[in-house]
Amino acid sequence: MSAQVTLALRVNGRAYERVVESRRLLVDFLRHELQLHGTHVGCEQGVCGACTVLLDGEPVKSCLMLAPQAQGRSITTVEALAGRDELHPVQQAFRDAHALQCGYCTPGFLLGAVALANRAVVLEGAALREELAGNLCRCTGYQNIVEAVERYLRQSAAGRRDG
Amino acid sequence: MDKLPWLGVSVKRKEDDRLLRGSGRFLDDIEDTLALHLGIGRCPYPHARIRRIDATRALELSGVEAVLIGEQVVARTEPITVLRPFPGSATTVFHGMAHGVARYEGEPVVAVAAVDRYVAEDALDLINVDYEPLPHVVTVEDALRPGAPELHGTVAGNVVVESTVRAGEPDKRLAGAAVTVEGTFRINRVSGAPIETRGVIARWAEDTSTLELWSSTQTPHLLRAQLAHCLRMDETDVRVIAPDVGGAFGLKIGVYPEDIIAALLAIDTRRPVKWIEDRTEFFRGAAHAREAVHTLTLGAGRDGALLALRDRYLIDLGAYHGPLGPPLLTSVMLAGPYRLHDAEINRRVVLTNKVPMGAYRGYGQAESNYVREILIDRLARRLGQDPADFRRHNLLRPDELPFKSVSGVTYDSGDYARGLDLALSRVGYESFRARQKEWRQQGRHVGVGMSCYVEFTGYPSSAFLGRTGARFGAYESVTLRMDRAGRAAISTGVSTFGQGTETTFAQMAASLLGLDPADVAIHRGDSQGTPYSVGGFASRTMIAGAGAIEKAAGQIRDKMLRIAGHILDVDAGALEVTAGMVRRRDDPSVQVSIQRVSEAAFLGHPLPPGEDPGLEATAYFDPPSSAFGYGTVVAQVEVDARSGEFALQRYILVHDCGTQVNPMIVEGQVQGAVAQGIAAAVFEELVYDRETGQLVNGTMVDYFMPTAADLPAFELDHLETASPVTPFGIKGVGEGGTIAAAAAITNAVCDALAPFGVELDRLPVTAESIWRALAAARAKG
Amino acid sequence: MKPAPLEYLTAATAEEAVTALARFDGNARLIAGGQSLVPLLNMRLLRPTAVIDINGIPELDRIAAADGVVRVGALARYSTLEASTVIREQVPLLAKAVPFVGDRQIRNRGTLGGALCHADPAGEMPLCAVTLGARLHIVGRAGRRELDAEAFFEGPYTTALEPIEMLEAVEFPDGSGTEAVVVEHARRHGDFAVVSVAATGLPARDGSWRWVRIGLGAVADRARYARRASETLTGTRLQRTDVEAAAARCLEDAEPASDVRASAEYRRHLIPILVERALNELAGRPR
Repeated sequence: MSAQVTLALRVNGRAYERVVESRRLLVDFLRHELQLHGTHVGCEQGVCGACTVLLDGEPVKSCLMLAPQAQGRSITTVEALAGRDELHPVQQAFRDAHALQCGYCTPGFLLGAVALANRAVVLEGAALREELAGNLCRCTGYQNIVEAVERYLRQSAAGRRDG
Repeated sequence: MDKLPWLGVSVKRKEDDRLLRGSGRFLDDIEDTLALHLGIGRCPYPHARIRRIDATRALELSGVEAVLIGEQVVARTEPITVLRPFPGSATTVFHGMAHGVARYEGEPVVAVAAVDRYVAEDALDLINVDYEPLPHVVTVEDALRPGAPELHGTVAGNVVVESTVRAGEPDKRLAGAAVTVEGTFRINRVSGAPIETRGVIARWAEDTSTLELWSSTQTPHLLRAQLAHCLRMDETDVRVIAPDVGGAFGLKIGVYPEDIIAALLAIDTRRPVKWIEDRTEFFRGAAHAREAVHTLTLGAGRDGALLALRDRYLIDLGAYHGPLGPPLLTSVMLAGPYRLHDAEINRRVVLTNKVPMGAYRGYGQAESNYVREILIDRLARRLGQDPADFRRHNLLRPDELPFKSVSGVTYDSGDYARGLDLALSRVGYESFRARQKEWRQQGRHVGVGMSCYVEFTGYPSSAFLGRTGARFGAYESVTLRMDRAGRAAISTGVSTFGQGTETTFAQMAASLLGLDPADVAIHRGDSQGTPYSVGGFASRTMIAGAGAIEKAAGQIRDKMLRIAGHILDVDAGALEVTAGMVRRRDDPSVQVSIQRVSEAAFLGHPLPPGEDPGLEATAYFDPPSSAFGYGTVVAQVEVDARSGEFALQRYILVHDCGTQVNPMIVEGQVQGAVAQGIAAAVFEELVYDRETGQLVNGTMVDYFMPTAADLPAFELDHLETASPVTPFGIKGVGEGGTIAAAAAITNAVCDALAPFGVELDRLPVTAESIWRALAAARAKG
Repeated sequence: MKPAPLEYLTAATAEEAVTALARFDGNARLIAGGQSLVPLLNMRLLRPTAVIDINGIPELDRIAAADGVVRVGALARYSTLEASTVIREQVPLLAKAVPFVGDRQIRNRGTLGGALCHADPAGEMPLCAVTLGARLHIVGRAGRRELDAEAFFEGPYTTALEPIEMLEAVEFPDGSGTEAVVVEHARRHGDFAVVSVAATGLPARDGSWRWVRIGLGAVADRARYARRASETLTGTRLQRTDVEAAAARCLEDAEPASDVRASAEYRRHLIPILVERALNELAGRPR
């Protein structure tokens, strides 16, 4: 019988307190304990990035964290992005650029892009592709994803300038 | 036929909203607090006798509900059927679990159902399986060697089937050829590797004795039929539902052992049983693809006319014949888009102790393209001809089509040379040779390589499939239903795994019914409530689906016209359906809304005398023929002749996929296929150690799927030659991008290193393989 | 793939971490970034009785330059190293190496100390440590000790760290004024190196080099400082002949193995090529 930990953390702005098994992976905690299914599991080896969430605003692979390691931290998942009726600008950019097909890898890419925009980073081309290399996609061949993120980062920068 | 307003329009996808929000419902997102979770113990050896299984300690572990072993599975189920048994094939007996003998590393040997996956894996740790390793073979050559272990008593010499395609007099033509070239090529074993692994949830309803299976599958109806057979149940008592599927690419077709295991445990425990494949299992269980060894000979006349082709090849099937097994299209498409009348293609499918082979995007066409297009370059070089000129000379001209290929299939339409010319002009081929010379003088080795393909899409009729032994048809079907508000709903057995069917089907129906795609709902992937469907694979869905939608919509449209005619007191023949209205062609002010017409059908009045209420239709469409797409890939690479490192500088694909329903979706499919084509050409390989028989790199860390930083931007151009044999001239589009990558890149590298006389004959193309080829060329010359 | 049962503890100080390790008698593991550890836990290749989380130890990620030395806390994350001016200016080799590690997400969590203790023969951090002659500060139950990087790495995934010890900090010599280059060949972006070369040196005003140090990764059972090749370059102007000679000498320090990424022969072939590239770049010439 595995040891347990009382975990208190914030996810998408809400406070949670749960008793979890020490060995529970953060991604499993988010998905099956909190029913936040938008974060996906693709490998459990830290390669594919489908499990990417924001930890205090920075993208990390949640299959490589034990849930207890999120003690006192703030997690953002894809569910935090859209409004009830409107999509987040990054989601809109992906839709417009046809940057998703099966959608399984998409949440990871979205959060990575949002983290860049939050840090006021504007990248394109090869430099952007490097930044995205922690997320694998098998459906799109990446081209439209790169286009979507480029556009979103440019718009975000313009938005900051203007607003 | 009225103009189709939504055909050829890049409508944004209906699927996107939920997928972007993270509200997509993939298999593991389906939660059931009662569910048990499966852990599967798998054979760690390539070949072993299973002497004893001791699960006592596992059963004592808190949270463990049940254990299943092979003996029980074999007693209670039928072996997995082959969906398309090639005539003359020996059978392999492939049960849902190994019993007595396991024949590949990864074959299920024992299963545990527990309260969660963590506990299931704890339980597996406590199970002792006593294996006796047996001699193994992990190459086709070893499997065919005299004295090799025979993997199945039913398969003599490990050869499942041998078949030969013959046309004309190839031996004679080759003997009389001015020039012949021969090469032996090794094609790598790869995996489609979708980001979502496989998964299944089985639920047994005790009161009705029916089984419900949720599966990450491309083929709900086929899976249902196969699973029912394996479980010795009536098909009507089995329901299969596909939720959102996170990529499939051919490997989520038909029944797998784990479906059977989950079903049996659901029946035994009376609780839902969920299995989510982890990535370690994935590389050792989900279908592998493509591996083959070819010895190909091409002959040409002094004038550069291709004369004949001879190929002997071996397909490395793995340890069992799964639902689909080895490709057939390698033989069928080997001659490619060229003028060839004389050929002999001998195929042998060979057993090895590896994961069973299945379909992967292209399914035989990347393989045939690779071997042929490389030899064409070598032939051109031997004749002192430019590879583009050589191809132009031999590509079939539009006026020669339809053309019956040496394999018996008929290419319907296309302008192959135009595709080639367009791709070459994009890369600036005219001036390339001069620039290449300059670069060479600077010590830089830049090369251009090309590959032409014609692509078999869709299946040419159920009758054709039946003649070749298929246990499924070529058709697709939909039920189309109008609701009271004048909106439509399509029910289809096709599941969605990224190819945008929800959107494209809506576009087709909307075009035919005068609606907006937003007003067409799609219910998909459920075997219950949908007419028999074959599923999404072989680039057939749009062709067959469009035909079914056209027929169903036609019936509904005709009825709408009759009802409207009755409401307007106008002859139905004078009316047309357009943009939410049914109106007089010659006086549009005489009109009634589709909503009103639908409401009348729902209310049962006002209807013409003798007209039944309701406004729906179910239609099946069986394509009369396959449609053939085609294209050319031109790649430009720069190679470091010292290290072998190379950069893919440009990748151009010109393709013709016929009429495009949604150009944005077509482009996305092509880009994705191109990426997988490059991935299999340059990055990926499933490596087995010959001595241990072990899969060496069955992890995401060691199986080199490319990242965004590894791939260039692709340059895509398309031609649109409507197929004369399919609804709306649509051709299949999902696979073409995979076909020509390996040959184009290989040819580009060899072109860059032409001064050294380098020849490449295996995949993937890597810096090391180039370095070795350079060394070999130096040693030879 | 889920971890085997384990206990989870946190440590608030280095002493607490070491005490906890002692309590579990060598069957516990420290967890920092977890980017190397958790995959091993998931695959059950490691089954520690407990993991001790040291991410909360304050000051363990500090970067401080003083007295000719840059001291980097073991918990310093790659992303911190990437953003640090001190590292860029005073340990430039580290700054050049970090972008080769993993990807953005991995760099947000992974730590310098974790990488050094993991001791991957292809790892960029061990490569930098031996190339720069770093000194590793270790705390155990008996107190603190220091080790040279070369002595710290004993073999593949094997270090001189005792089961009941923790790496606390790494000291690099102050590299102000030095130049640094890292060159790698890998099967795909961010992947483990097939061959990696680190080159760093101190240029003098007259165009000669006071010293140059070359390190090799992924070509032996641990990262290697190519001592003899490096020494041949002292005082030279890194001209092509110097570079080629040094590159050839580097083979002496290599014992590459074959694996799924490359054969030993190909690695041997690449070594002088990459060394030349690195040195040419160091010298400001096109590769």
